[in-house]
Amino acid sequence: MSRAEPGSAALYHRVVVYLLFAILLLPLVGTLIYSISSSWSATILPSGFTFKWYLQLWSDPRFLNAFGQSLLVCVGALILSVVLILPLLFVVHYHFPKLDALMNILILLPFAVPPVVSSVGLLQLYGSGPFAMVGTPWILVGCYFTVALPFMYRAITNNLQAINLRDLMDAAQLLGASTFQAAFLVVLPNLRKGLMVALLLSFSFLFGEFVFANILVGTRYETLQVYLNNMRNSSGHFTSALVISYFLFVLVLTWAANILNKDKSQ
Amino acid sequence: MNAITRGKWLAALCLVPFAMFFFVFQIAPLCWVLINSLQSEEFGWGLANFNKIFNSRFYLQAIQHSLEISFYSSLFGIVIAILGAYSLRRVDSRLRNFVNAFANMTSNFSGVPLAFAFIILLGFNGSITIMLKQAGIIEDFNLYSKTGLIILYTYFQIPLGVLLLYPAFDALREDWRESAELLGANGWQFWRHIGLPVLTPALLGTFVILLANALGAYATVYALTTGNFNVLPIRIAAMVSGDISLDPNMASALAVVLVALMTLVTVVHQLLLKRSYHVSR
Amino acid sequence: MSYVSVQHLQKNYSGTTVFSDINCEIHKGEFVTLLGPSGCGKSTLLRCIAGLTAVDGGKILLEGQDLVPLSPQKRGIGMVFQSYALFPNMTVEQNVAFGLRMQKVNADDSHKRVQEVLQLVELTDFAARYPHQLSGGQCQRVALARSLVTRPRLLLLDEPLSALDARIRKHLREQIRQIQRELGLTTIFVTHDQEEALTMSDRIFLMNQGKIVQSGDAETLYTAPVDVFAAGFIGNYNLLDAASASKLLQRPVNSRIAIRPEAIVLSRTGEPDTLIRSHSLLGNVIRYRVESRGVELVVDVLNRSAADLHADGQRLALSIDPSALCEVA
Repeated sequence: MSRAEPGSAALYHRVVVYLLFAILLLPLVGTLIYSISSSWSATILPSGFTFKWYLQLWSDPRFLNAFGQSLLVCVGALILSVVLILPLLFVVHYHFPKLDALMNILILLPFAVPPVVSSVGLLQLYGSGPFAMVGTPWILVGCYFTVALPFMYRAITNNLQAINLRDLMDAAQLLGASTFQAAFLVVLPNLRKGLMVALLLSFSFLFGEFVFANILVGTRYETLQVYLNNMRNSSGHFTSALVISYFLFVLVLTWAANILNKDKSQ
Repeated sequence: MNAITRGKWLAALCLVPFAMFFFVFQIAPLCWVLINSLQSEEFGWGLANFNKIFNSRFYLQAIQHSLEISFYSSLFGIVIAILGAYSLRRVDSRLRNFVNAFANMTSNFSGVPLAFAFIILLGFNGSITIMLKQAGIIEDFNLYSKTGLIILYTYFQIPLGVLLLYPAFDALREDWRESAELLGANGWQFWRHIGLPVLTPALLGTFVILLANALGAYATVYALTTGNFNVLPIRIAAMVSGDISLDPNMASALAVVLVALMTLVTVVHQLLLKRSYHVSR
Repeated sequence: MSYVSVQHLQKNYSGTTVFSDINCEIHKGEFVTLLGPSGCGKSTLLRCIAGLTAVDGGKILLEGQDLVPLSPQKRGIGMVFQSYALFPNMTVEQNVAFGLRMQKVNADDSHKRVQEVLQLVELTDFAARYPHQLSGGQCQRVALARSLVTRPRLLLLDEPLSALDARIRKHLREQIRQIQRELGLTTIFVTHDQEEALTMSDRIFLMNQGKIVQSGDAETLYTAPVDVFAAGFIGNYNLLDAASASKLLQRPVNSRIAIRPEAIVLSRTGEPDTLIRSHSLLGNVIRYRVESRGVELVVDVLNRSAADLHADGQRLALSIDPSALCEVA
């Protein structure tokens, strides 16, 4: 549809978008420059450039440890999520469709109840006694599962609705497949892309989680974000290199999710 | 029991593990908080905790700070997001997809890393602080104050606002604008009479989400001020995991106040929605 | 001097030329239709006249004034869109009054004029309703009222009936035409539906690929298409190349010929050299597919009585009035 977009209006919109881009980019650029400059105190621009901060970072065993632990916890939480949520989704959409309304309210809880609030209860309930988990990675895995739940539930629900679950199952069963076989051979392969995108996005979100990690576990099982916070007193260049490394990692994940998403809609 | 009912029972069984985990990690803590907010060491059951909160200048200041920071950052954030999302829709698709993807990625850039990035730029020795001082625009800028926090919060509200508002502009049909033009309205009149009224539900909804987002935010302010700024989330966390005074019951009461504020905001939003007009379909 | 005059209008769109040299004249009070297939440029031309799409060259004169440098607000043109474009946050009355509000007409006059025009479209009882409470046909009538109340110099309609179902379409067609006549309003109507064009217009501009291929009144366009495209677009013409035409008419022919199916007569008197291959019943017309002297033809016969029904395989005689033969380019 053609529109009369006089030159001045089009220019205005471009300027606004570039401004928006610049605002969002600024802190990143600042941090990037800081991470590759040799020193930068009370002046506008740094005095020299170097990669030594990155070298220092990536050879620091504590950093690698934190990175690894973050990975473990996030991957663990996502595996748990897949194992719990996929059957849940299947059962809800195939057997008990009325539960979907209830589920939609339930998945609002992780949003409506901020992690700080949950932490209060979690610390008391699982700090000691028979269910003691505080200070171990297990409590993080469980909490991260609740954090990822809304993303994964919504993404896969949309996917299921798009592929028309009932018809697929009915067709498969008429052709002789049991419910299990139908679910594994017919439904699951169709969910693959949507699932991958949901997982990648949830992963990036979880990787940046700080509240649960700091309050429930802290330095006893140091994740990357907690490590970052604990390093605040070391050189600003070092922490910048850390921030940029983290951000690049997340960037690659979101970019991959984007590519997969585009693939899916083709 | 025939095959179908047995199938349904098996299916229901599959729900159990999920329900268990969800209960343990989401419902149980919430219940604990709700129940224990009404318990206090000195006074047993009752509203003693809440009494203390609303009579203490310190806690009231925490509530006030939380509300102020959330309100202003959401307001600035949504204004910038409106302008940004609107223009984003009207530029060519390459630029639009790029900036969209970029906004998606930066919405992950919050919490500790963001706080550090801002310290670099706007801290006491920050690049931009120095630039502005040299240009004589500001005398002294304290990032670690309420104003600094508002700026910081506004920053991470923007991508969220843009992502939420962008699809809302879909509701604004191009031919309404053309019709209005032909009937003699200029751009301003179109927005005033048609554009903004139609967008109001989406705008309110986004504003509420931004408010809730800011009220519950912990990581950013903690990282920036090492837990020394008086806002509700910091207060709550300090009472359960700090080194000074541990009082989980009081923390629960504060937590209930926080959740109540968020709920209040949502309820007000729903009421406002009903009063404004409806695009029904 | 004509009321509306489009001169050498040119429009390009991202590298392709939509039209390069459009010229047409419209007289005051005329109801003119731009007719053509999708993508022929008719909607773009309409939008250029309205000022909603920028023009790359040429002039558009309305009462002698060039519209091209004017913004849409200042052109004094009313337009009805295919999607109605009613403002969802306003009642019918507020929607219709909008243009008057922009003109700063006072409340009393505005209310009076709104009532008048609502009466014209027979929707006075619906003044307090919102668009989502109206049917498609009602929405379109409100859109019409809204564009009429400001007393525009020119009315444009961009496929306003395409989204409506058949029965409402017929009714609205008549209503629009009647209102237009009553008000003497110069109107340009865009459609791809030839029946609409033929029944409503004083004159039709047939467009194809950015050019006005033929212009004239309904009768001329229907009975005398100038080229293959026109013959293929309006009506159900039999299009014969020179060789087939020669075989059929049994005399030398050196151009393509178009023959209307209803102009071919089948009878039992005469040389039975025409074979009925198949037929379909269209209601008041029976459409026969025949083969005559080696040429395949479509023949439409009015379904008056049993005498008009011919069985498949039957052989009949064929005759064509020479005035119904159209030479096409």
